[in-house]
Amino acid sequence: MNKIDEVFSAIETGKAKIIAELVQSAIDAGEDPMEILNAGMVNAMSVIGERFSRGEAFVPEMLISARTMKKGVEVLKPYLAKGAATSLGTAVIGTVQGDMHDIGKNLVAMMIESAGFEVVDLEVDVPLERFVEVIRSHQNVRIVALSTLLTTTMPAMKNIVAGLNQLETRESFRIMVGGAPITAEFAKQIGADGYSADAAAAAVLAKSFVA
Amino acid sequence: MIIIGEKLNGFIPSVGKAIRERDEAFLRDLAVRQEEAGADYLDVCAAVDAEVEAETLLWLAQLAESASSLPLCIDSPNPQVLAAVLPHCKRAGIVNSVSMENGKIETIFPLIKDTKWKVIALTCTSAGVPESAEGRLAIFEQIRAAAHEYGIAEDRLLIDPIVHTLSTDEQSLATFAACAKEIRARAKTAHVVSGLSNISFGLPARSVINHAFLVLAMQAGMNAAIMDVLDREMVGLLHATNALLGEDEYCMDYITAFREGLFGQKKN
Repeated sequence: MNKIDEVFSAIETGKAKIIAELVQSAIDAGEDPMEILNAGMVNAMSVIGERFSRGEAFVPEMLISARTMKKGVEVLKPYLAKGAATSLGTAVIGTVQGDMHDIGKNLVAMMIESAGFEVVDLEVDVPLERFVEVIRSHQNVRIVALSTLLTTTMPAMKNIVAGLNQLETRESFRIMVGGAPITAEFAKQIGADGYSADAAAAAVLAKSFVA
Repeated sequence: MIIIGEKLNGFIPSVGKAIRERDEAFLRDLAVRQEEAGADYLDVCAAVDAEVEAETLLWLAQLAESASSLPLCIDSPNPQVLAAVLPHCKRAGIVNSVSMENGKIETIFPLIKDTKWKVIALTCTSAGVPESAEGRLAIFEQIRAAAHEYGIAEDRLLIDPIVHTLSTDEQSLATFAACAKEIRARAKTAHVVSGLSNISFGLPARSVINHAFLVLAMQAGMNAAIMDVLDREMVGLLHATNALLGEDEYCMDYITAFREGLFGQKKN
């Protein structure tokens, strides 16, 4: 196995204890840091995300793979050329006002971050005003992602999207929505740009928005 | 042990479909079968859009009440919906649920104070669920104080100390158990309740975890459950655990439930 494959494998299997030395070893062997990031890490998360979508990998496995990648990225950071496009942009994410559920939202945040975005996670019970405040105060917001698990907070999602659609900077970002009661039809109805059924699909969608 | 049958819930795809299509026969059958399987209450949850939730839940509740002789457990995250449906029920049942989130107690407690309705109360606030048992117990004390203020006797309370999924919180059962034990010790006539499926979200072979959780939670003091009463293994475990915990004189409940065919090998 070459060094990048070893990094890939460690992330795929969530080997957080050895990732740092594997990444360092790849760097010392002269591998291109961007290659290590993309081929070794982003791809690995993509693979585990697909397995999760198919029901072959489970929530804890997503968590340990994401944690492993985070650790690996820390080692890689100083070697990534300044100004190199390591970020696809900023993604703002949160569960809508009135809803406390966060597991799905957390998985989406992890997958979007692994795909190359800077993620600003507003946590749960997030009103329109907070989304707007954060969009206005951050550079290069390309994605705004909303989540809800409850049918009773779907109206809140509708209102937040309606509010975001009024922003003067609306053209600069895409709105994506998700959660158990959400459908592609609902997303379209309320004026969102897209819908995804799970965290892996969300990452794919987010990347397609900035491609 | 209070058994609340969970099947009349629109979040279950087949039930959601039946609710949308107003398939009365399907839903009546679910009500009857849960009663026959030994449920004490039937949970009813519409899980539809906010605009139509009250009318849908009312329709579902009235259907369940006519199909079965059991009292209902009226289930909605929206206190206004609960308030709209309760007065139309024939039998006093359980309100599912209140918490210390804004407005819930203020809406529901005045409505039920002079009735026999029981109420499920979650140990969370508008800020969420505290990580620690201590944090959740502090909220329990607030709920208890509010019940006292409204003249609602402790034996009408079913406290849910919240079960996080094991897949993101390895201490979920430990925290739940610490709360359950304390609550039972402090409020001798109150119940500790839980749903039995949250624990396994995100893991494979969910029912295996749910079954193990039932046993461990009962040992910790849970004495009410929102569960799939049509799961015969689950029902068997419930009665067995009750007996094992010394709650079943001469194991007569266990033997009776077995004779009634609620668990064990099905004849023919």
